Amino acid sequence: MLPTPEIRPLALADGREVPVRWVRDRRARRLRLIVSDKGARLTLPLVASVRGAEAFLHEHRDWLAAQLARQRHDDAPRFGRDWTGPLPLRGQDVPLQWCEGRFARASLGEHGIEVQLPAQADDARARAALREFYLQQARADLGAWLPRYLPGLPRTPMALRIRPLSSLWGSLSPSDAVSLDLALVLGRPAAFEYVLVHELCHLVHADHSRRFWREVEAHWPGWREEREYLRGEGLALKSTLARLTR
Amino acid sequence: MFFRNLTFFRFPTSLAKTLDDLDARLEECRLKPVGPSELMSRGFIPPMGRDAELMSHRIGDAIWVTLGGEDRLLPSAVVNDQLGRKLAEIEEKEGRRLGGRARKRLKEDVVMELLPRAFVRPVRCSATLDLEHGFIAVDTSSRKTAENLVSELRHALGSFPALPLNAETSVRALMTGWLAGEPLPGGLTLGDECELKDPVDGGGVVRCSRHELQAEEIRRHLEAGKQATRLALVLDDHVGFVLGEDLVVRKLKFLDGAVDQLEGTETDGVHAELDARYALMAGELKRLFAVLDGALKFSAADA
Repeated sequence: MLPTPEIRPLALADGREVPVRWVRDRRARRLRLIVSDKGARLTLPLVASVRGAEAFLHEHRDWLAAQLARQRHDDAPRFGRDWTGPLPLRGQDVPLQWCEGRFARASLGEHGIEVQLPAQADDARARAALREFYLQQARADLGAWLPRYLPGLPRTPMALRIRPLSSLWGSLSPSDAVSLDLALVLGRPAAFEYVLVHELCHLVHADHSRRFWREVEAHWPGWREEREYLRGEGLALKSTLARLTR
Repeated sequence: MFFRNLTFFRFPTSLAKTLDDLDARLEECRLKPVGPSELMSRGFIPPMGRDAELMSHRIGDAIWVTLGGEDRLLPSAVVNDQLGRKLAEIEEKEGRRLGGRARKRLKEDVVMELLPRAFVRPVRCSATLDLEHGFIAVDTSSRKTAENLVSELRHALGSFPALPLNAETSVRALMTGWLAGEPLPGGLTLGDECELKDPVDGGGVVRCSRHELQAEEIRRHLEAGKQATRLALVLDDHVGFVLGEDLVVRKLKFLDGAVDQLEGTETDGVHAELDARYALMAGELKRLFAVLDGALKFSAADA
């Protein structure tokens, strides 16, 4: 049976109603409430009762309200020629400089991020140039971190893919390809490195068992802080990336 | 034997020490003929040809290895046709349609029945290891084939910490810059082929071949925001190739000058010629990798 979505309103503590997508999924083992750029979603196992799910939502409605408040609104401005403020990079605000050129390119210069754009090119091309810039910065970080962790691994990752991911931060495919979220390069580097370490540890244990977390702990003792950081700031990072590069 | 395409992986240069018994290790993983009920087999073969003894060919710090294989050709249309007949026969005889699981079992039986009669297609793929720079270049533009060779090599050696090549600069932005008139790294000149892509979702693609790259129409495309995703380059006037944003080198070609050097060498026997050709290619690849490394800043695999 395919998951069948259904939108149900949920009353928050302040009286507002927010739509929650209810999805019954036969692979689901427990109730799960997530917030992504598509809004709130509740995943239910096939056997879960509606009343139980409603109680669960009621219990977590304050958390949901806080998460939604953190998410920037859709009407927030997208990156384009009239953008003058700084841009996020590695957890810091980096000044932005525009210049005219014969082709579109964003690069890290002495005075911050320089975006070069020909007169004809529009905002969509500017966002594409910025996406390429973030991708390059993320690759540079990975290149610097990765060799340190290789000696302790049973195998090396076969491919490294960095792209915007909607709800995950990273994953490891059965063919040993590591995927990482491009939004990680906007946040603090320690969180990015932790996600890399987490995925690399899946080469040792392909699950989230205690053995796995012990492995993570050995390589990255402060993993709990980074996980908390991503749980707190993560959605904002993802939606900022979307506004800047999509 | 010159390689046509190059897919790179990097490994720590400290690995060189562990490669002394490479031939013995590869011998253990030598290609076995594909069995009558197997779909395929993979294993290493001597790079210098069937009659050669050594499983690898080494010149200085360059090592040439070849992965051979045998694939059984069994088109799915043939299987499905045969399956259809059997199903119809059973339906006729028993007056009922077979369920999903029974169908699956029947299909497996059909495959098993047809496999021994299927053609065997030999395949081979070569790679060269450079111990000085710590890279392996696989002669393919297919990521899957390249990964396959590397994992077979890992299997043979027990451990082979190879990483896909990672550039710390934006290849796209660099190639677009070169096309727009920015200076190329020493030794490289523009070739006559490029692919330009509009970077927005579902954006247009322009492919030029046998085309002057510094022409006005190409400049216009760049001004409209298109970016170079593939670019033909020439190294030292005698090695032509197309560099992709995926860091795969395609259409590698040794132009006249390079092969002329080879004509001067002795021509006694296939072995000597292959040896000379490989020596020439390994030298050029070393230079090519060094030049690209300087421009694109490849990440090292050493900690």
